[in-house]
Amino acid sequence: MFSIYDAFKRKIADEEISTPLAAILALTELIENSDAGTMFELVKALNDGAEALKKQASNTISVNAGCELFIAFVTLFPHDSDNFTDLKKELIRQGQNYAAEALTYRKKIAELAFGFIKDGSVILTHSYSRVVMQTLLLAHKRKRFSVFVTEARPRGLGIKTAEALTAAGVPSTVILDSAVAYVMDKVDFVLVGSEAVVESGGLVNAVGSNQIAIIARAANKPFYALAESYKFHRLFPLSQYDLPSHNSKILSFPSILHANSSSMNTSSPSSPSQNESNYPTGGQPERVPLRITQEQISKNNPDVDYTRSLLLASTAPEMTVLILRRRPDLISLVFSDVGSLTPEGVSQYLVGMFAG
Amino acid sequence: MPVPTMVDPEPSVGNTAPSQQAAKKVMTKAERRELQEKQRAAKAALKQSQPQPGKPNQPQQPKQQQQQQGGGQAKPKPPQTPQKKTFLTESTAAKQDRAAKEAAAEEAAAIQSHGLRIFSHFGQPKPIGHTVKGDIHPTIIRLGLLFSEFKICGANARCIATLTAFKQVIQDYTTPAQNTISRHLMTHISPQITHLVSARPMSVSMGNAIRELKLEISAIDIDMVEQDAKDALCTKIDNYIRDRIIIADQVIQELAGKKIKDGDVVLTYAKSSVVQKVLLQAQEDGKKFSVVVVDSKPLLEGKSLLRSLTSGANSIPCTYALLPALPSLLTEATMVLVGAHALYSNGAVYSRAGTAMVAMMAKMHSVPVVVCCETYKFSEGVMVDGFSKNELVPLSITQRNSSPKDIAPTQNLERLNPLYDLTPPRYITAVVTEVGLIPPSSISSIPLALGKTSM
Repeated sequence: MFSIYDAFKRKIADEEISTPLAAILALTELIENSDAGTMFELVKALNDGAEALKKQASNTISVNAGCELFIAFVTLFPHDSDNFTDLKKELIRQGQNYAAEALTYRKKIAELAFGFIKDGSVILTHSYSRVVMQTLLLAHKRKRFSVFVTEARPRGLGIKTAEALTAAGVPSTVILDSAVAYVMDKVDFVLVGSEAVVESGGLVNAVGSNQIAIIARAANKPFYALAESYKFHRLFPLSQYDLPSHNSKILSFPSILHANSSSMNTSSPSSPSQNESNYPTGGQPERVPLRITQEQISKNNPDVDYTRSLLLASTAPEMTVLILRRRPDLISLVFSDVGSLTPEGVSQYLVGMFAG
Repeated sequence: MPVPTMVDPEPSVGNTAPSQQAAKKVMTKAERRELQEKQRAAKAALKQSQPQPGKPNQPQQPKQQQQQQGGGQAKPKPPQTPQKKTFLTESTAAKQDRAAKEAAAEEAAAIQSHGLRIFSHFGQPKPIGHTVKGDIHPTIIRLGLLFSEFKICGANARCIATLTAFKQVIQDYTTPAQNTISRHLMTHISPQITHLVSARPMSVSMGNAIRELKLEISAIDIDMVEQDAKDALCTKIDNYIRDRIIIADQVIQELAGKKIKDGDVVLTYAKSSVVQKVLLQAQEDGKKFSVVVVDSKPLLEGKSLLRSLTSGANSIPCTYALLPALPSLLTEATMVLVGAHALYSNGAVYSRAGTAMVAMMAKMHSVPVVVCCETYKFSEGVMVDGFSKNELVPLSITQRNSSPKDIAPTQNLERLNPLYDLTPPRYITAVVTEVGLIPPSSISSIPLALGKTSM
């Protein structure tokens, strides 16, 4: 029995393959293994497969982007083949071709962004991103620059970036996530990858990107995002909590009952906020100091956040004045294989792609 | 002899004219007779200054006179000799006539000062029973009255009503000899449209629909049998209503419904048919949310929304408040959901007056503002403010919701009730259309994506 999740895991094991591509490749394997005799059956099988994959995979937004792209491609594919087996073969071939071609996208993006990296510039990046790495390594061949990279807790992927860059000879320093504002004045621009680019022109990326964007905005530093076009996603989050990755566990306060019962056991699952919050203790004056582990913190925290393309008018009175004078874009440019786009351009591209 | 002629037209004038045209005819006849009679009487009354009631520069004036006079005449008088009676009647009539004229002039001055100087270009709302010119289909006359009385209100309802009425007009139309339907039907439809516009300015949605209809008419094959052509047009109209309005609303219901989550507080302003459907659908889907209906004078449309949300088997918990209470309610809200009259290509939303304020304040509080709008309401124009184009609420509608305690307009006090305002795109988070959720900045790429370059 074919398991789409196994196929997905096999594909994603490859360092070069990103989540949406792995989803696309997994779906092409599903076509290979499917015994669907009609287009309708095939699309249904694909939808079911995508659904199953979304349930099992941790990274729903990226998986969704890939699945949606491929299913839209299959439904719109002009089927003029003589029989359905041929069509299926053609679809599989197209899917694999696309994945192969998609691997060259990062190079295109790196070349686009290359012009923005000047000799002697100081770049701030966040967490680990394959496309950012490729861009920096390409630029390193011809230019001298140094990189600050955030630690990106809780996964600490920033360390991986710093290690890889140092190995390649790029001077890089890991900074704390809480030190972004401190370092911002030394930085020339911010360069981040992305999990998904959404229809509002905003960005879904490893948690912390939003605050970096806001600080960059406040310090008048450009904020560039790099995104392969398969990461463009038909999604319109209205707020952070409107993301599909948001669930009730994130930012939840532990119930008092839970905290008490767990304080009986010495290993106590609880949230960081427990210590500061003056929760009504419900008549239990006894307060055992709780120990908070890293796993508990990461459980209560989101993996990704949503960076709006526009700064809200309300942040502060000074901001309102700024907005009257200048364009309130949080994101300066999005580099992708279809070109360097403004956030507005991204949303127009997406609307044109899906609403057509 | 003059007495009966004077008395004769009275009853018909007094008994609130049976039909508009009949009343008008009687009035003019009465006027003429009255004038003759007065001139004669004036001579007899030895150089009494001659009244000139026939000057028709103010439309209300003759009516006023008639009514005034009618009232005067109705007073029971002691029977006297015919000669004397004529004289007496005349003198009172002349006096009343002059008084009426003065009143009319005063009123005219009041109306002129009432022109709301800077808003005069919105056009003064016309009195309801305006005259019918030309060959207007009765359905259209009826629709015009419904429009001008705000009995049919809202962009969707008006568009559907107009298209349905035009179906009737098309079915009742016969092409005159030596003419083709594709050429002549247009000349038949145009006055109907003009009539509707004179009842109430056309909505953007109607404009788009009518443009589409005209396009279809001009595309009729000349060789087609007339009845077939008419049926084909009616099918096209039905399809338009179904695809662009009914189905579009269903898709919007689904898309906007996804954004409503358990525990949400949805704030809405006035009444939009789409928003109402979205909320009811979300409730039907079993979502636990509450609604804040913000409303304002003069139309108080939110009441009707409130009624439909709270009636029914499982009603939605609602809060009703007027616009001044908005700041204190917004802190509770998680989303603002409003409808739109039209959407301009710069992303600006033209909607019921007050929406802009709600949107701006919501943005101040970081509450996402979501506008529900079908793509057929898109206008390719650009609007930068609500002053360049707007509509005034007719007085009759304003009075419906005003209490007697309200201050009456005087010469130095005017009431301004614009019907719409414009929300700049930067205050809008997303527009829900049948093609998806779209940021207002990308509105301009939608009609192209739909392949409708003309819209």
